[in-house]
Amino acid sequence: MLKSNIKLTILFLLAIFSFSKINAQAWDVPADKKAKNSYIKFDENTAKEGEAIYTKNCVSCHGNPGKANNLKTLNPIPPDLGAAKTQALTDGELFYILNTGRGAMPSFKNTLSEEERWKTISYIRSFNKQYVQVVSKTDPTKSKLVKIKLDVDSLTNKIKVAVIANEIKGVVLLKDAEINMFVSRYFGKLQIGKTLRTDSVGCVLFDFPKNLPGDSIGNLEIVINVNDEIYGEIESINKVKIGVPTNKPSLTEKRAIWNVLKLAPWWIIITYTSILLGVGFILLLIIKNLFKIRKLGED
Amino acid sequence: MMDQSKKNKITSDLLKPIGITKTFHIWMGFLTLSLAVCLYAYMFQLDKGLVVTGLRDYVSWGMYISNFVFFVATSLIGMLISAVLGLSGVKWASPLARIAEIIALAFAAVAGLVIVSDMGHPERLLNVFMYGRLQSPIVWDVTVVTVYVLISALLLYIPLIPDFKICHEKLVDIPKPLRNIYKLLSLNWKGTEDQEKLLKKSVWILSILIIPVALAIHTVTSWLFASTSRVGWDSTIFGPYFVTGAFVSGTAAVIIAMFFYRNSYKLQDYITELHFDKMGKLLVLVSLVYLYFNLNEFMVPGYKMKKFDATHLHALFAGRYAIMFWLVQIVGLILPILFLLFGKMRKPLPMTVIAVAVLLGAWFKRYIIVVPTMEHPYLPIQNVPMNFKFYTPTLIETFVSLAPFILVLMIITILSKVVPIIPIQETIEHHEESK
Ligand code: HEC
Repeated sequence: MLKSNIKLTILFLLAIFSFSKINAQAWDVPADKKAKNSYIKFDENTAKEGEAIYTKNCVSCHGNPGKANNLKTLNPIPPDLGAAKTQALTDGELFYILNTGRGAMPSFKNTLSEEERWKTISYIRSFNKQYVQVVSKTDPTKSKLVKIKLDVDSLTNKIKVAVIANEIKGVVLLKDAEINMFVSRYFGKLQIGKTLRTDSVGCVLFDFPKNLPGDSIGNLEIVINVNDEIYGEIESINKVKIGVPTNKPSLTEKRAIWNVLKLAPWWIIITYTSILLGVGFILLLIIKNLFKIRKLGED
Repeated sequence: MMDQSKKNKITSDLLKPIGITKTFHIWMGFLTLSLAVCLYAYMFQLDKGLVVTGLRDYVSWGMYISNFVFFVATSLIGMLISAVLGLSGVKWASPLARIAEIIALAFAAVAGLVIVSDMGHPERLLNVFMYGRLQSPIVWDVTVVTVYVLISALLLYIPLIPDFKICHEKLVDIPKPLRNIYKLLSLNWKGTEDQEKLLKKSVWILSILIIPVALAIHTVTSWLFASTSRVGWDSTIFGPYFVTGAFVSGTAAVIIAMFFYRNSYKLQDYITELHFDKMGKLLVLVSLVYLYFNLNEFMVPGYKMKKFDATHLHALFAGRYAIMFWLVQIVGLILPILFLLFGKMRKPLPMTVIAVAVLLGAWFKRYIIVVPTMEHPYLPIQNVPMNFKFYTPTLIETFVSLAPFILVLMIITILSKVVPIIPIQETIEHHEESK
C-alpha cells in the first residue's frame, strides 16, 4: 500500500515537473557561450540602431518590450523581452538564443551580422535599469590578422588546423580558441566531429570521414570556423581534395518535364506545336473561305 | 414553297428584339451600376494586393479559381449543342444553337478575365507569355482557352452571315453606320449555291474542330488540379469528370437563357415547349453521367479512406463542408434528375427554377473541388495563424467574383440586341423542308 502510494506521488510529481517544463522550457546554454560578452559598448546610439533592427525582425512576434502586445497565437508564446525573466539571462545567453533559435523562434545567425545581433541585445537591455554591461576583450578589427592553415594527411584522413595571427610584433599562436569544422552540402553545412579547442601551439586535429561524396575529382568545400576571445569570429572556406569522386549528372541537365523551356522534352514540344499549327492551318482555311464567299457575292 | 407572308412574319418576329428599348436601358443601367460597385471593390485589391482576399499561404486558390473553372465549364455547352447535336442531325436543337454559342463565347471570353482577378499584379499575366514553359498545364490552358474563344466566335459568326444580310435589308430604321456594319459583316451574301456550299462546309469543319478543342479546354483545366499530388485532385478521371460536369452547368445555363429570351422577346413560337422538353431530357442525361462520375470520384477513395484522403473526405461528408457538399449533390444534382423525369416538370417555368438550382449547385461544386483540398495539404506549414488554415472569402473577393457574371449578362444582352438570337434563314429553310 505504502509502496504504491510512493509510486503515485512520484508519478504525480513527475507529471507536474514535465508539465511545467512544457510551459517554460529553459534554454540550455553551454557554460562558455553563457559567459560570452559583447565587444560593442552598449549606449544610447547602439540601442537606437538596435531598435530599428528589432522593429524589422522581432516586433511581429515579441511585440514592443513592456507593452504585452506579443503574438499570443503562437505556441509557445514569444515572451515579452522587457520582462524580468528574459532580463535575467546573460548577454551570452541572449546571443546564443538569437544564434540558434528554437521552434517558432527563428535563428538569426545567417540573417543578422554579429554586430547587428549585439545591437539588438543592446536595445533589449535598454529596458533594464539595473543592467550593467561587461564588455568583452574581443577586438573585431583584429580578426583580419588571423590566418587559418589546413594540413591534410591523406593516409589517415586527418586534417590539422593551425590558427595564427600576424601581429606587428610577430606571429601569435591562437591558444584555446574554439574551432568548428563543416563541409558544405546541398542544403547547409554538415559539422565534422565536435567543437574542439586549439592546443598550446594553436593547433587541432580533426578525424575526417572517408566516405563523403565530393565533386567529380573528389573536392570538398571545408568551412573552418574559429572563435577566439580576443580575435573574435573568423571563418575560412577551403577547397580540399578529400572526398569520394562522384559524378552524378544534375537533374536539370537533360530535357525533362521539370526543366526550363529550353530543355523541355521533345515529345511535348512536338505535340504542342503540331497541334497549334494544325488548328492554325484550319482556321486560316476558314478565313480563306470567308474571303471567297465575299468574292463570290461581288457584282 | 412557303408563302411570302409566312416568311415575312418569321423575319419580323425574329428581328423584333433587335433595337434599343426602354427595358434595355434600365437593365443595362442596372448592370453597369453593379459592375461599377464590383470594380470599386477590385480597386482595393489592385491597391493592396491579394491580402484583401481570404487567400493566404495555405489556400492560395479560392473563390477566384473556382469561379474560373465554373466559367470554363459553362462555356462548353456551345460544343455540345451546335457541334455534337448539329453534326448528328438533331433537328430540334438548331434554333438553340445560337443561344448556346452566345453563352459559350461570353463565358469563355470572360473566363480569361477571371484568371486575371486571381493575380495581385495583373500586369504579370504577360510573364506567362514571356517565360511560360510548354511543360506547364497553365500554358496549355491559356492556349486552349484562346483557341476555343476564336472558334466559338467563328461558329457564332459564320451561320450569322445570311442573317446579317437580312438585317441589312430589313432594318431600315436604324442609323446608317449600323446598317453598313451589317452589310460589311454579311460579306456580299446573295445565297448563291457556291456561297451556300462554302458556308456549310466551313461550319461543318469548325463543328468537328470544336469537339476536341472543347474537350481539351476542360480536360486541361482539370489537369491544372490533377497534375499536382494533392488529396481530392490526384485522380485519373478528373478530365471526364470535369467535362461531364461542364455539360450539366452549360445545359442549365442555356435553359435559363431560353426562358428569359423567350419571355422578354416574345419568341414563344420559336422556342417552344418542345424545346424545353428536349433540353430537360438532355439535362437528365448529362446529369446522370455526371452523377456516375461523382460516384466514382467519392466512392473509390471513400471506401479505402487512406490517411490523408480521410481528413479531406471527412470535411466534405460530415465536417466543415458537409452542408455545402450535400446541398450540391442532392439539390444540385439528384433532385433535379428525379424531378425532370416527369413531363410536367419539363415545362418552361418549373424547369427554369430547377436549372437555377443546378447552376448554383454547379458553382458551389467547383468551390468544393478547389478549396477543401487546399486546406488539407500533405505537408502543413508550421506555426501559422488560424486564418491561414481555414479559408473564408472576403466581401471584396465576393464582389470581384460577381463582376464576371455581370459581364456575361452584359455580353449576352448586347449580342441579343444586335443579332437575331434565333437563326432567321435557317428557320425559314426548316419551315420549307417540313412542308
Ligand atoms: C516568428 C516569431 C519570432 C520572431 C520573429 C522572433 N522570435 Fe524570439 N521567440 C519566439 C518564440 C516562440 C520564443 C519562445 C521559444 C521557446 O521558448 O521555445 C522566442 C524566444 C525568444 C527569446 C527567449 C526569451 C525568454 O525569456 O526565454 C529571446 C531573447 C528572443 N526570442 C529574442 C528575439 C529577437 C531579438 C528577435 C528578433 C531579432 C526575435 N526573438 C524574433 C518567436 C519569435
